[in-house]
Amino acid sequence: MHKPETKTAGFGWLIGFALLAILLIVLPHLLSFSQQEILVMLVIDVLLVCSYRLLTLTGEWSLAHAVIMGVGAYASALAAKELAVPVPLAMLVGASVSAFLAFLLSFPLFRMKGFYFLIGSFAAGEVIRLMWKWSDLTFLFGGPKGIKRIPSMPDLFGIDFFEPVNYYYLCLIVVAVSLLILYRVERSRIGLTFHAIHWQDKLAESVGVNTFRYRMLAFVISAFFAGLAGALYAHYVGAVAPNRFDVEEMVYILIWAIVGGTATFYGPIIGVVTLTIINEVILRALGVDEMRPMLYGALLIVSILFLPDGLESLVPKTKAWLASRKERRENMRTEEVPAE
Amino acid sequence: MTKLSKGGMDRRQFLSTTAAAALLASVSMPKIAFGAEKTVKIGFLAPLTGEVAAWGKPGLDGCHIWADWINADGGVKVGDEMLKVEFVPYDDEYDPSKARAGAVKLIKEEDVKFIMMLGGDPWPGASQVAEREEMLVSTLLPSDLTPDTEMLLAPCEVHPIYNVTGVEWLAENKPDLKTAVICAQDDALGKPSVATYLAAFEAAGIEVLDEPIFFDPATTDFAPIMSKMLALKPDIICLDTCYADYVHPLTEQAFQQGYKGQMISCTADFYQKMVEKTSKEFMEGFIFQFPDFDDPKLNEPHVNFKKPNDFYQEYLKRYGAGEWSAVSWEYASIMDLWADAATKAGTTEPTDVLAAMKEGGVGKHAFGEADWWGEKLFGINNALVGLWPVVAIQDGKAKIQDFKSIPDWWDQHSDLLIKHMKALGQMYYQRT
Amino acid sequence: MTAELFLQTVVNATYAASYMALIAVGFVLIFGVMGVINFAHGELYMAGAYTVVALYADMGFPFFLAVVVGLIFVGCLGLVMEVGLFRPLRDNPLGGLIASIGFLLILQTVAMMGFGVRMENVPPSTQDKIVFLDGAVLTYQRLYVILAAVGLLSALWIFLRKSKFGWSLRACAQDREAAVLQGISINQTARIAMFIGAGLAGVAGALTAPLVSPTPFMGHSVIVTAFIIIIVGGIGSLEGAVLVAILYGFVHTFVTTMYDGTLANIVGLLLMLAVLIVKPTGLFGAKERA
Repeated sequence: MHKPETKTAGFGWLIGFALLAILLIVLPHLLSFSQQEILVMLVIDVLLVCSYRLLTLTGEWSLAHAVIMGVGAYASALAAKELAVPVPLAMLVGASVSAFLAFLLSFPLFRMKGFYFLIGSFAAGEVIRLMWKWSDLTFLFGGPKGIKRIPSMPDLFGIDFFEPVNYYYLCLIVVAVSLLILYRVERSRIGLTFHAIHWQDKLAESVGVNTFRYRMLAFVISAFFAGLAGALYAHYVGAVAPNRFDVEEMVYILIWAIVGGTATFYGPIIGVVTLTIINEVILRALGVDEMRPMLYGALLIVSILFLPDGLESLVPKTKAWLASRKERRENMRTEEVPAE
Repeated sequence: MTKLSKGGMDRRQFLSTTAAAALLASVSMPKIAFGAEKTVKIGFLAPLTGEVAAWGKPGLDGCHIWADWINADGGVKVGDEMLKVEFVPYDDEYDPSKARAGAVKLIKEEDVKFIMMLGGDPWPGASQVAEREEMLVSTLLPSDLTPDTEMLLAPCEVHPIYNVTGVEWLAENKPDLKTAVICAQDDALGKPSVATYLAAFEAAGIEVLDEPIFFDPATTDFAPIMSKMLALKPDIICLDTCYADYVHPLTEQAFQQGYKGQMISCTADFYQKMVEKTSKEFMEGFIFQFPDFDDPKLNEPHVNFKKPNDFYQEYLKRYGAGEWSAVSWEYASIMDLWADAATKAGTTEPTDVLAAMKEGGVGKHAFGEADWWGEKLFGINNALVGLWPVVAIQDGKAKIQDFKSIPDWWDQHSDLLIKHMKALGQMYYQRT
Repeated sequence: MTAELFLQTVVNATYAASYMALIAVGFVLIFGVMGVINFAHGELYMAGAYTVVALYADMGFPFFLAVVVGLIFVGCLGLVMEVGLFRPLRDNPLGGLIASIGFLLILQTVAMMGFGVRMENVPPSTQDKIVFLDGAVLTYQRLYVILAAVGLLSALWIFLRKSKFGWSLRACAQDREAAVLQGISINQTARIAMFIGAGLAGVAGALTAPLVSPTPFMGHSVIVTAFIIIIVGGIGSLEGAVLVAILYGFVHTFVTTMYDGTLANIVGLLLMLAVLIVKPTGLFGAKERA
């Protein structure tokens, strides 16, 4: 009785994923040109927010994530531009530099927890960002103007990656693989330990878990993928500047994660997709440019007040609702049968 | 799940498009009445929200006046047709990725024939799109120009080169002032401007005391900076190309800390408020580069900007007395140049318009006949320079003192400017 | 550094310390009592400045009337936040943070639509100034800020020491659950804390409006300063906030004068990091907690 049920469930998942894959492949061709551009950014943001969620599993909320994305972007841009490293390799360099920086930052930052970590990570991020801006380091980071004319992804097999659709597919593959890795990490023993640290860090410590090492591991992995997102961004847009990675950007990451919900893997993805569609497509189409921040703010408040567990909490509810409807229909049918 | 979200999106899109349609219909009713006429669309890709919006929004306002006037006259003559002009704005939020999406939308979806940008940070995002689509783009910041930006023009404000005119005029009229200090915010506007002022002061034989002071754009309290400058006891305080948010508190601080000497600045937006905050006596003789357009000197025959005095009055009438700023007229003046070139070319195709615009290496700049110039500084002759006004405050009102020629200065002192630009890393081959 | 520049810098620093203290104390009070990081604190400061823009600069009411209205108006904004946002999210500290970000965006946009994106100009209410021996200058306009900081913060201190409300405020700040067991109404205490905290930010904005040029985005830089002060001073410690505001005001002003402003910001942040690493409870936090 038990076995076939999981089998059908697995089968359902498979169909679901196949449909999703088809949708994602077809999607850019259904959109307008400028929406394709937004789509590329959206896929990059998905990676950004999912990498952020990994760190939140350990219970820590960082305010340095946007800057760490920037570290990947800067490192990748500099590697490709100044050291002539091939772009795909430079992206990995960028991601690794982010990860390494996270490793270094772990030592001071994970002496703190909770609110202190939040603020500490903010300070660390701001120091890095101010370094980019500082006039004494302009020769390296380009000062407040940042780095321009970053080499773009070279053509591969005659595919022109300047075209948003092609770059979208590239990002889609990179992000899909990254998400798979993030998912596997979460489901592995390491991921379970992250959860354990979140809910019972004293207990975890008492059974011999080195919580510092696991926190650091979460931070480093999360930074790696944030850096990768930054590198994907840098080589597409062709320019990075310190203000692109400021508090405001960080606030957006937080908002996506929280409005979407962080209890499930898909929560942040729902958050970033929904909010980007609302902000970039609907509010722009309404022609309310000046009012956009206010509507966004109102939306935030409404969602945090009435959907405190994020949009993801709607999924089981909808499922339950659909199931109950189905059940009712089936009940009706079974009731109808004898009537006939 | 996928189906559900897709269905949801469709409904949202439907709602948004119906709402947008309703909104558009209500807003643009009068235009639809003329619907049968042909129009040409012009893109306005600049920050309309956020902190940099002050450099975009007033320009769009000015363009609306320009469009209303030109359309009332029938439109722009292109070939045998009269084309009405319609501006399509896109808020780039001063972000390169949004500028890229905006450029794509304007070019591929709106079919605009020309895009006006503020330039700066967002430009690198839009540049590749513009290049591939062969779109003609204008910027207010010539520091965006490089040898390969063939379709990018700086046709109005060749910041900061015109700042030399103010210093030149000052040296001619107040020869006893011998020392200066400079401060600027540390950013894309401040740096090249400092190099220009350094060159201009050196050319005029004025000594700059100490290093220029760069401050963080996030600075809120300017008292320490002014204290530091006043401690050097200069004859001239130069505020470089500080934004109005900095010029005002700096000037006020100079006044409060007892400074009595000369001040010079690139801009002095809302200077009336500065007069209110300090005193008429203190502000007397304050030199800057941006005239009010009710200035009678703008009616001199060499000025190409159409009906400057009326434009100023109309602007104040529509948007309020306190809203006039340096960028209010600039985008509109670029449109004059474009309309002229489109008429000359007989088409709105960007490459043809560009060719017509640059024909003979000269162009009709807002303040007079000017040269397409810039090769030595930007690597390309896509900046239009000629005369530029020197403005000073007299009895609480900005008055044009003189129009000075930038090319004349350049012919004598180009080596100085290049030297200082190089020292601050502002030459086109140094800008990364 | 000449004696004259030194003296002027001391004057500048005193002013900087005063307005930082006004803002930081409100921020600390709100965090201490309610456990919420009020990200919109900078925008409350902005709202105070715009009250003066509207009432004093535009409509011509007396300056000090506008300042008082600014205090009350922004205090009421604080009440709205407490009742509408923070109370329903009492058990969700991150929720309070997000809600305050939403509120921040709304305030910014309202200011932008009501007054335009451009900076506002507020003429000084007086141009009188005190000239010290060596020529260092302190304008009355800046003196008001210093006086307000000293006056209001002393009043607050007495209020917290002497009144019953002050007692419950401190009790909530130290241990909320224990406070409830003592029969203290959390909601009422939170309302008072929010009103005072927001009102102090509003007064700071109102008084500095003629000194800075108000823009809808002026709150940005304020919040970072508030963060630094709250951490170095120790969370929940009002005395710590005041002392660190003074310390930070002086360090920042002197580094700006002698080197540059970006370096001053970096120094501030590094100071904060150092304190977080060495003594996360802040320089003055432990005493309060014991």
